[in-house]
Amino acid sequence: MVGISTNGTKKRKHVTKDAEQRQEISEDVGLEMQSEDESEGSVKNSEDEDEEEAEEFPGIDSGSDTESEGDEEDEEDEESEEDELDEGSGSDDSLHVFPHAKTIKSGITGRPKKVYPEIEPDYDSDTSTEDDPNRIGNVPVHWYDDLPHIGYDMNGKKVFRPAKGDELDKFLKTIEDPSAWTSGFDKSLQIDRPLTSEELDIIQRLYKNENPDAGYDPYEPTIEWFTGKGKQEIMPLSAAPEPKRRWVPSKWEKQKVMKIVRAIRQGRIVPNKPKTATPQFYNIWSEPSADHPPPLPAPKPRLPTNAESYNPPEEYLPTEDERKQWEETDKEDRERDFLPQKYSSLRLVPAYDQFIQERFSRQLDLYLAPRIQRKRLDMNPDDLIPKLPSPSSLKPFPNYRALRFRHDGDAAVRCVSISSDGAWVASGDERGIVSLWEVLVGREVKRWKFDSQIGAIQWCPQTDVSYFVVGVEDHVHFLIPPNLSPNVLSATLNVLSPATLPPTPSTPSPVRWSSTSSGNFDSSSSFPIISLDFPPSSGLVKQIVWHKRGDYVASVSGKDQGAVWIHQVTRRHSQAPFKKVKGSVQLVLFHPSKPYFFVATQRYVRIYDLAAQKLLKALTPGLKWISSMDIHPSGDHLIVGGYDRKLCWFDLELSNKPYKVLRYHTRAIRSLSFHPTYPLFASSSDDGTVQVFHARVYSDMMTDPLVVPLKILREHEVKNGLGVLQICWCPGQPWLVSAAADGSVGVWCA
Amino acid sequence: MAAQAQEEMQVHTLPVFFSTRTLYSLPSQKFMIPASWKRYQLSQLVNKALALSNPVPFDFILRKTGELLRDSLQEWCHATGVGMEETLEIEYVESLLPPSRLAGIPHNDWVSDVSLGIQGHFVTTSYDGLVRVFDSSQILVHALSGHTGPVTSISVLSGSQNSDEIILASSSHDATARLASYNTETRTSQALASLHLHSSPVSSISSSSSGTHLLTAGWDSLIGVWDTRLPSFDEVALPSADEGKSRKRRRVVDGDDTASSKRKAPLSVLKIHTSRITAALFSPTDEKKAYSASLDSSIRKWDIEVGICLHSQIVAEAPFIALAHLSAPDILAASSTDRTVRIFDTRTFTSKPSSLTSSAPIVLQHASTPASLSASPTNSHHVASGGYDGVVRIWDIRSTKGAIASFRAGEGADPEKRGDGKVLGLDWRDGVMAVGGEAGLDIWRVPENAEEVL
Repeated sequence: MVGISTNGTKKRKHVTKDAEQRQEISEDVGLEMQSEDESEGSVKNSEDEDEEEAEEFPGIDSGSDTESEGDEEDEEDEESEEDELDEGSGSDDSLHVFPHAKTIKSGITGRPKKVYPEIEPDYDSDTSTEDDPNRIGNVPVHWYDDLPHIGYDMNGKKVFRPAKGDELDKFLKTIEDPSAWTSGFDKSLQIDRPLTSEELDIIQRLYKNENPDAGYDPYEPTIEWFTGKGKQEIMPLSAAPEPKRRWVPSKWEKQKVMKIVRAIRQGRIVPNKPKTATPQFYNIWSEPSADHPPPLPAPKPRLPTNAESYNPPEEYLPTEDERKQWEETDKEDRERDFLPQKYSSLRLVPAYDQFIQERFSRQLDLYLAPRIQRKRLDMNPDDLIPKLPSPSSLKPFPNYRALRFRHDGDAAVRCVSISSDGAWVASGDERGIVSLWEVLVGREVKRWKFDSQIGAIQWCPQTDVSYFVVGVEDHVHFLIPPNLSPNVLSATLNVLSPATLPPTPSTPSPVRWSSTSSGNFDSSSSFPIISLDFPPSSGLVKQIVWHKRGDYVASVSGKDQGAVWIHQVTRRHSQAPFKKVKGSVQLVLFHPSKPYFFVATQRYVRIYDLAAQKLLKALTPGLKWISSMDIHPSGDHLIVGGYDRKLCWFDLELSNKPYKVLRYHTRAIRSLSFHPTYPLFASSSDDGTVQVFHARVYSDMMTDPLVVPLKILREHEVKNGLGVLQICWCPGQPWLVSAAADGSVGVWCA
Repeated sequence: MAAQAQEEMQVHTLPVFFSTRTLYSLPSQKFMIPASWKRYQLSQLVNKALALSNPVPFDFILRKTGELLRDSLQEWCHATGVGMEETLEIEYVESLLPPSRLAGIPHNDWVSDVSLGIQGHFVTTSYDGLVRVFDSSQILVHALSGHTGPVTSISVLSGSQNSDEIILASSSHDATARLASYNTETRTSQALASLHLHSSPVSSISSSSSGTHLLTAGWDSLIGVWDTRLPSFDEVALPSADEGKSRKRRRVVDGDDTASSKRKAPLSVLKIHTSRITAALFSPTDEKKAYSASLDSSIRKWDIEVGICLHSQIVAEAPFIALAHLSAPDILAASSTDRTVRIFDTRTFTSKPSSLTSSAPIVLQHASTPASLSASPTNSHHVASGGYDGVVRIWDIRSTKGAIASFRAGEGADPEKRGDGKVLGLDWRDGVMAVGGEAGLDIWRVPENAEEVL
């Protein structure tokens, strides 16, 4: 309605202005103008009619004549629109949308005041009681679409649908009825009802963004109530004292300001910072960015060829077969996505139907096109493998089994040890048999028989004496090999059964030392010269380790909670270095040069200083269960193997974490050993293999240790899930001795 | 086309230059030999050319590679990439007839050494501490006791061979060597002396060719030089420290046949090796020279009279375990734990003996540790090695690629006792080879060729 009305008014004004001009002209020219009008009357009949109608369309004149009068005044006065409007508003006294206020002089103040008429609480004062013939209420009217009536009146009578003309009637009505364009459709009565003048006035005011109330005067004179002479307020409105905040500077404001000041000082806020506005859309190909190499230019679209010409040479035109074939192939399989066509002239070329498709695919191509030239990392996978010297340059290392020593009945050989001169091997099996044999020939020279499984064997590292200790159940026996030369034998006997026994220590140890005296000793007998008896039920001695000087020997016994004992041969005394150990001790080890003692529990390796009686370090190999460890002869490197197949190499000066973790065995690692002189170490596993490594350690602290795998020795068989149980290097030669569960001990030579 | 090619191949000939050190020498000229010929044709050619009444089989060594000819010449040329126009140098030697097993004498314990030094007898030493003498019908004639440990080595003093009284020298793990006389007539033995020098097991003992001197090699890296003069008194006092023990041992010994044995001291001690000495032997030509092999990877040449080391031949990482002097002068074979047997010329001590025109150092590769060596008594190019795998291989040092013959010793022995069948001792004399080892004593006939002219 509003839109319609505005159109109407504009049109009207336009028309009126035209009319004005025309009248001016007519005034100037006089008769000629008239004649011209008449001469052109037939041609511009419609226009004239419009004009006439426009003149007849006097805006709101359907309700009142005053408007048309105003218009006429406009024509005469040629005043601005605003004035016209003012006049219009001023002339709206007869409108009664809102109750009209009367301005009377107040009897109290003596000033004029508005008095609104009293609202009479009669039937007409409520709009709900307006006389609406259709009383169906607020229900959708289309419910009555199929019915002849459109509702019911107050008395329940049907209100019938008023007659509705066709479109032509409507059109004619708009032409004939001057109030048709200021009428609205009344849904409840289904008829067009002309708007009242009040409603039109409201619409016009709303359209002008004015207050819809006609009686509202925005420019009322101000009434000064409290200014001026004699009107000042003498007494304050309240008796409250003036609050402090009125005259104390605001702390909160100061905080806020200081925050900003601080930010400016720190440069977080830059005043007058020039705003760098990046345009919302820009060509990504054009600007080279600072941190990237300049982008590649956009790939150019393919240039059209002869076949794409509107007038291609005859040979490019497809034959019938080719056309048929093109149509039969799938779209994505086609060699090209169009068929060459010939047009005699450019005029006849139709619009290209693939245009949008082609643009879209071009956009996709651009989207996926590479924007920078990426340098391909041209890397040979072989280069990633560290450069290791070839094993043949690291000779000697054991590479074949020179001989094999078999234990009777193929009993699993648990432990093996080589004498310090590298000539004799002692091996102990599960049936309690300890065999002493030559390394080079493999001939057994003596055999000791014990009741139960041999847990550990170790030769004394001293070179001037020759004996070894064997751990059987909860005993440790000291055995002397046969065929010793008199010098060595006497030296050995001097150590093991001296003429005067050392005084018994003041604190008796639970480990009992018992010995046969040297006078009774016969080298051909198979009795141990010294036996240590641990407290009963202390379990199998599972590891024996000598200190390098050959006076102290440490043993670990017991299955779960390993009991560590350190025995001193010369004093014939045993002591337990730890009162309580966290975790179950698996292995112990003496440092080759310092008074350090390594204790491996199930997960950790702790290093104790025996002299200072304190814990130095705790290594965390990250293994689930430590099975073996050995220390490099230099004393700075430790290897730890676990049942979870991993081997950890520790640089003791470097870290508590492993320097290297190697996993190459397919089953649990059983034994590890460094060669005392050659840069070699070997590991044995339950997978039946012994793997030999070159392990060069540099003394300059800067170079990392070099570990090179050399050889996998595979002759042993796996029996009952057990492989090679212990390995041992031959001092002075690059030979390895391995004891396996298949009942054989192999000697591996270079 | 193919037929034509075949024809060409058939008629293809190779220029061949023959040489030999046997008595059967051909005139030195170039022969055009068909390429398809094999050893048999070549051998027949030599036989026919010399018009020998008794056919002599020959083996042919191709000088270029040091191989024995096994296939046809053409196939050899194809395998080695030698052109057909090149003149081939072929040396021919008398074929070694395949060895045959004569007998086996089982032992209760491992045999550590054997000797054929007594005519018609086999002498074995065993780990049970006995020296056993068998006669030619393989019957145990006598067992000498005396050692308290395993006996490692035996030497029959060659000077005493012809008389009935034969002196045997044996070394043992009990750190002594012993001299005993054995009378072949009465089949009795008498302990003569015990040699006291070493403080650890004695690994080998050997005598000079005249039988006047002995060499012992010990694990304590000492070499003792002894004469065979019998001492009239104890030259070495008993160690006082373990008097009680040795008295006891003496008591044990007293009951034995060693009552008259005296403790003998060495003439001199050679000490330069740094590790266990595994073998020491006299030069067969010069009794003043000796050679020793050690686990410290060295072979040393000694002047015994002066007692100095004349030469040290150090081979990187080859701990030597056995030594043998070939019947050719100045050629030494030494086996080491790296499964090789190296041949040395003792004059220059290179691995290229000057008497042989071989270009490469002679290294005979074995499949297992060759623990024992024995030179051929007659053929100056043949040496036998016995390995830990129980195989005895006979090598011609001109043909380094493979052994010219090999046999497995101890096949007839009880497999339970046999074990790996390691061969620990070899002696090759008069066409008979005695093989001692884990499986006991095995006796093989190994035919020998006539003397070759070097």
